[in-house]
Amino acid sequence: MAAIAQEAPEGIAPPRRQGIVFRGSTVWRWVVLLVATVYFLLPLWAALRFAGIGAFGSVVSESGFTSSLALSVRLAVITTLITIVLMLPTTVYVHLRLPKLRRLLEGITILPVVIPPVVLIVGVLAIAPGFIKATSLLLALEYVILAMPFAYRAIDAGLRALDLKTIVEASSSLGAGWVSTLWRVVLPNLRTALLSAVVLTVALVLGEFTMASLALFETFPVWIYVNSQTSGQVSVAASLLALFVTWLFLLAITMVGTRQSRKTGGREVTLFTVARQETRGD
Amino acid sequence: MPKLLRGLRRAAGVVPFGVYVTLGLFAPMAAVAIGAFEDNNGNFTFSNVKAATHGIYLHGFWQSIVLSVLTSVIPGILGLMIAYALYTAKRGRVLRQVAITAAGVFANFGGVPLAFLFIATIGSSGLVSQWLTTLGFDPYAHGFTLYSLTGVVIVYLYFQIPLMVLVILPALEGLRPAWREAAENLGARTWDYWRHVGGPVLLPSFLGCVLLLFGSALSAYATTEALTNGTIPLTAIQIGSFLNGNVIAGQENIGKALGLGMVVIIAVAMLIYVVLQRRAAKWLR
Amino acid sequence: MTTNTTKNAAAASDVIGQAGPGGGTSVLLQNLTRAFGVTRALDGLSIEMAPGELVALLGPSGCGKTTALRIVAGFETADTGSVLVNGKDISSVPAAKRDMGMVFQSYSLFPNMSALDNVAFGLRMRKIGPASRRKRASDLLDMVGLAPQARQYPHQLSGGQQQRVALARALAIQPRVLLLDEPLSALDAKVRLQLREQIRTLQQRLGTTTLFVTHDQEEALSMADRVGVMREGRLEQIAAPDELYTDPATAFVAEFVGVMNRIPGELQAGDQVTALGSTLPVRGHRPEESAVDVLVRPEGLGLEVVENGNGIVTTRTFLGSVTRVGVQLSGDVAVQVDRPSVEAAALAPGASVEVSLPAHPVLVAARRVS
Repeated sequence: MAAIAQEAPEGIAPPRRQGIVFRGSTVWRWVVLLVATVYFLLPLWAALRFAGIGAFGSVVSESGFTSSLALSVRLAVITTLITIVLMLPTTVYVHLRLPKLRRLLEGITILPVVIPPVVLIVGVLAIAPGFIKATSLLLALEYVILAMPFAYRAIDAGLRALDLKTIVEASSSLGAGWVSTLWRVVLPNLRTALLSAVVLTVALVLGEFTMASLALFETFPVWIYVNSQTSGQVSVAASLLALFVTWLFLLAITMVGTRQSRKTGGREVTLFTVARQETRGD
Repeated sequence: MPKLLRGLRRAAGVVPFGVYVTLGLFAPMAAVAIGAFEDNNGNFTFSNVKAATHGIYLHGFWQSIVLSVLTSVIPGILGLMIAYALYTAKRGRVLRQVAITAAGVFANFGGVPLAFLFIATIGSSGLVSQWLTTLGFDPYAHGFTLYSLTGVVIVYLYFQIPLMVLVILPALEGLRPAWREAAENLGARTWDYWRHVGGPVLLPSFLGCVLLLFGSALSAYATTEALTNGTIPLTAIQIGSFLNGNVIAGQENIGKALGLGMVVIIAVAMLIYVVLQRRAAKWLR
Repeated sequence: MTTNTTKNAAAASDVIGQAGPGGGTSVLLQNLTRAFGVTRALDGLSIEMAPGELVALLGPSGCGKTTALRIVAGFETADTGSVLVNGKDISSVPAAKRDMGMVFQSYSLFPNMSALDNVAFGLRMRKIGPASRRKRASDLLDMVGLAPQARQYPHQLSGGQQQRVALARALAIQPRVLLLDEPLSALDAKVRLQLREQIRTLQQRLGTTTLFVTHDQEEALSMADRVGVMREGRLEQIAAPDELYTDPATAFVAEFVGVMNRIPGELQAGDQVTALGSTLPVRGHRPEESAVDVLVRPEGLGLEVVENGNGIVTTRTFLGSVTRVGVQLSGDVAVQVDRPSVEAAALAPGASVEVSLPAHPVLVAARRVS
């Protein structure tokens, strides 16, 4: 090392350095990952042991299981439909015709992330007319608001990757009408984005607890909670089931989405964007 | 006139959205904001706000903020460490994919099911508690309980850490290798690089993510409710109790004042988040 | 820009100091090999660089030139072979201690620092005090003509400006060797030309031994003292630009550098080849097959307007003082001939011409079946 320093022209010598350099200390890295894996997998294992295999069987036969699950699924379907029908045309329209409103739209759609659901439900219950409050439609309608940030961002990302204006103009220059263009040109290119939006919405609805419990509807997460008072094991089994199903669901959708996007030269589908995930049922 | 008409016709496309958002979001929020300043007869009053900022409610705010700070900074640091470990893994591609999917699932997993998972693990008769007892150390005999602030923090980590990992990984991937190499070429050691280049570039994203976690923790309701049944005073829980009817009649609007307070806190945090993200985006371009 | 460059470069050596009374650093690459899995990125590369010389490594992408540069810089290690700087083997010296300045292809400036702080970074690593490093850095920025941008951040600078800051940053540490990894490829044409000049002038004034990697042959030929043409991890030829052009050692080099015509011919005994009715001596490598292509530059072919010649004029491209005439020969062979524009004006498309080969040794290559 000293030899090299001597060869340097006078003026500025290279920095002296002692000691060995660890290029990315492998040991430390694997320790961190190991600890993390233990922390995340241990509760799952503990829950499995606690519930016992038998509990899984009795989950399905427990009273309220079917009805609450059916309710959650129904809500998921309705919410997803309304969300897509509302957000897709709006986003496409703004991209095409009102680009200046994009900022505003972004700002509005981030609001549901900022407002705690517990606060939102207070306001909703205060002003909702009686006939809506009585049915679970109330929940579906409000879930659309909760899902909005994710649906918007997914569709927006999909549109931004498209250069929408150009393909719409190309399509109309070739003679296609509005409906044709939307149906044959725009929509097929948004398949992944729509898939993303649908999955996030469904995951959100299936896991939402706060608003459902405070509005006194027994959705699946609410049922798990209520049922825990009587049978802890079954509740834990149901929780594990919920986790497993969510994971399977997301995995399947990601794989399908990736396969489809690979066909059109895209990359792997990532469902999770920077926006906060509200689907924890908080 | 025709220009105005054209403008209106153009805006027509967003009317459905506008109506929906007004009815579903702005109206309820207005109701909360207005109700916070109304007494039971609809007259303007500060009494709700006053009550909301004193006594157990003030305590609730304080607890909520403390809890949120703890469960944003700690998972922030831990999440960064994990993300960095993933990022630097040599044959990392498969590992990273698995980890990201797992993080996605766990970040979305919370509330009641999560609470039960931890009850089964470190609850009073949980698996780990039993293991430790057979090893001679009973945590519950030493004052630890899952159903306390500490326990809640431990549980919150389960979804806060994955959220952090998901959000900071893109920022890590935005660190160009050319910067690292240029720094090395100019004589920098690993520490120098992180201190002068890597750290500063990552800092806005990191802080932004922490703020995101803060907002997320503050709004959390289900997990704590399931764990503590309302024994820990947290603003979110307190608001809920107004709806559950566990409260003296005639004081419902205090709940709205509490809600308003929460929104204000989170709004400030999110604003800072947006500013920081813009700054980070500029540097990482 | 030109006058500023020369003036600034003169000031440069005052600021930085010449490379030293010894005249600079010699670099020797000895038999470098590097394989990535099955691909051999480098296959026995040896280059000797004299002090103060600018050597350009030229070649298509994947030829190994960047790998070679990175090995010299210390970011990659060679499987076998060594790198010697002034006779000492530096193969085991970490990159941070090699005292070489490197300019990357793009976006290598630290985004969180101003241009001034970027340039001063290497000095900071060498524990130079804040006042003197700031002075030095601003002198360097002045030298590359960016003094007013000292406080600006990389995202506020154009591509060309960023690369100039990167250059100043690399030179600030008075490196023994300057390494440039395609620094101009990400810039647009006009900026590229300006920067080319600036880099060359600075380098000559400072006498810094420089290794420059590029895929642009014009760049290499105009800037370098010597150019090494690489293909598939091996050096095909290393020579001064004019020698490379007029005396290419292999067909690959001949076609990579400048434009080359291919005219079918037949190899004869005694190292001769016949084509277009003439028999010429062969120079360089003699292929196995007897069916070959003769390689001739456009300016090397003779062109005469005759009746019933061996070709028909197809196109005429005006290039300034010279016009490139496209001629279709019999046998579906197309060639390009350069003629002074005054002369070429008389050649109309469709005119019958006679194309002839020069009377000196030519390169031949195995015939390419298109």
